Amino acid sequence: MTAMFKKLLLIFTASIFFGTVFVSNSSAQKKFSTTYTAQKNVRLQLTNRSGTVTVEGWNKDKIEISAYLEAPAANIVPQNSSGTILINVVKDNQGRNDVGNVNFNIKVPYSSSVDIETRMGNLKVSNVSGGLVRANITSEGDIELTNISANSVSAENIIGDIFFDGVIKANGVYRFSSTKGNINLRVPTQSNFKLVATAPSTRNISLGSLSNAGFRFLSDGKRVTGSVGDGSATISVTNQRGTIAFLAR
Amino acid sequence: MKCENCQELLSEYIDGELNAVEAADVQTHLGMCVECAELHLDFSSILSFCDKREVVSEVSEPNLQALWCRIQNEIENEVKPEIAKELEIKKANRTWLEKLWDRTWQLSFTQTVSAVLGIALLSSLLTIVGVRNYSATNEFTADEAMSPTLFERVLGRIGVIETPRETREKRLVEQQTAIDYWNNRVEIRKAQWNSHLREAFDRNLQEIDQVVDEYTRILEENPQDTVSSEMLDSAMNEKMELLKGFSEL
Repeated sequence: MTAMFKKLLLIFTASIFFGTVFVSNSSAQKKFSTTYTAQKNVRLQLTNRSGTVTVEGWNKDKIEISAYLEAPAANIVPQNSSGTILINVVKDNQGRNDVGNVNFNIKVPYSSSVDIETRMGNLKVSNVSGGLVRANITSEGDIELTNISANSVSAENIIGDIFFDGVIKANGVYRFSSTKGNINLRVPTQSNFKLVATAPSTRNISLGSLSNAGFRFLSDGKRVTGSVGDGSATISVTNQRGTIAFLAR
Repeated sequence: MKCENCQELLSEYIDGELNAVEAADVQTHLGMCVECAELHLDFSSILSFCDKREVVSEVSEPNLQALWCRIQNEIENEVKPEIAKELEIKKANRTWLEKLWDRTWQLSFTQTVSAVLGIALLSSLLTIVGVRNYSATNEFTADEAMSPTLFERVLGRIGVIETPRETREKRLVEQQTAIDYWNNRVEIRKAQWNSHLREAFDRNLQEIDQVVDEYTRILEENPQDTVSSEMLDSAMNEKMELLKGFSEL
């Protein structure tokens, strides 16, 4: 009987504890969501303070924005202006002493251009084939660009990894830069591009399947340059204190 | 013979057209009559003058070509000094370029050789500078091509062109000025950040500072290290962007 009572008491206490945690969590996070009808070549321009941003391409002419706001909840005022959806959490919350993370989950048409930046936090973009994909983290966070087919791609952070998996288009410009982290690029082996990859501190530049393309190692291995195919696109990779690796797609 | 008859025949008498009897009568009357004798003298003088004119006109016909020539000479003699005066004024007002252009150059062999060598040297210098500028804009050029040639070093030493070190130092001063500005802005805002944000900022700034220190040290040892120079420039820009981004929070 005493053991039974103890079990019941434990279950009761545990349920009260977890219930309280769940309630407090659910009350701490607010959700913001809105949907815009968009053209296929719409541009999303987002500036976040901190938190994770996930952007995903889908087969609809709509932009669906969902944001989970941690306390103290940030103000979000999206604007739809001549084919561009603008969200600037930094500007919308300027002068506020404390603002919680904002975690965005956004769906855009496949052929959209995506320009996102955050002061801190991870950025993920996938299934986008518009003219531009730019992901910029002012300080730390990982960048993951998956299944991208854009003419201009840029990814920059200070501390954190960068991963790119996509097509290198003719005459495209691709730029990846980090201070401390690993940069991994997964590109088709049949791509045509000129490459300058610089990893001066680690001198760890792995060309993988591209190693037969006749690249030159310069400055005692700090930099690799060369061309693949007709060299119409340009890829510039700089990692001050990390590694660079190319993977076959 | 009466005076009237004498005066009627006087003209024919002078011309010798009277017969001997009439001529004798006229002559007798002229001997006796003073009035008719004076008239005879007048007539004779007039006729004599007319005869002379006829002779002259027959002997020297007017030469029109010579006459115009003389007229032209007279005009030129009057006009030429005026033209010469105008030319003198114009000559005095010519620019240095016009004077140089009008000058007849007569160079000695040594001067010609010196001029040719000078032009060749200038052309080489311009070509080198042009190629260097083109190379500087093309980030895919081989690393070795970026390092200054002996010729450029000499020109840098004598102050004709800016050395890479001078360029870098100038750029660093500009970047440091911007960094100081944004740093002041950050210091004002920083006290109001939460600990999470402050720690992230400090961590990233420290990372960049380490990179800056590292490349500054390398460049002190080897000022010609172009990769380190680029990395230092890149790190300074990242620091500027970090401060700028966080000054808005």
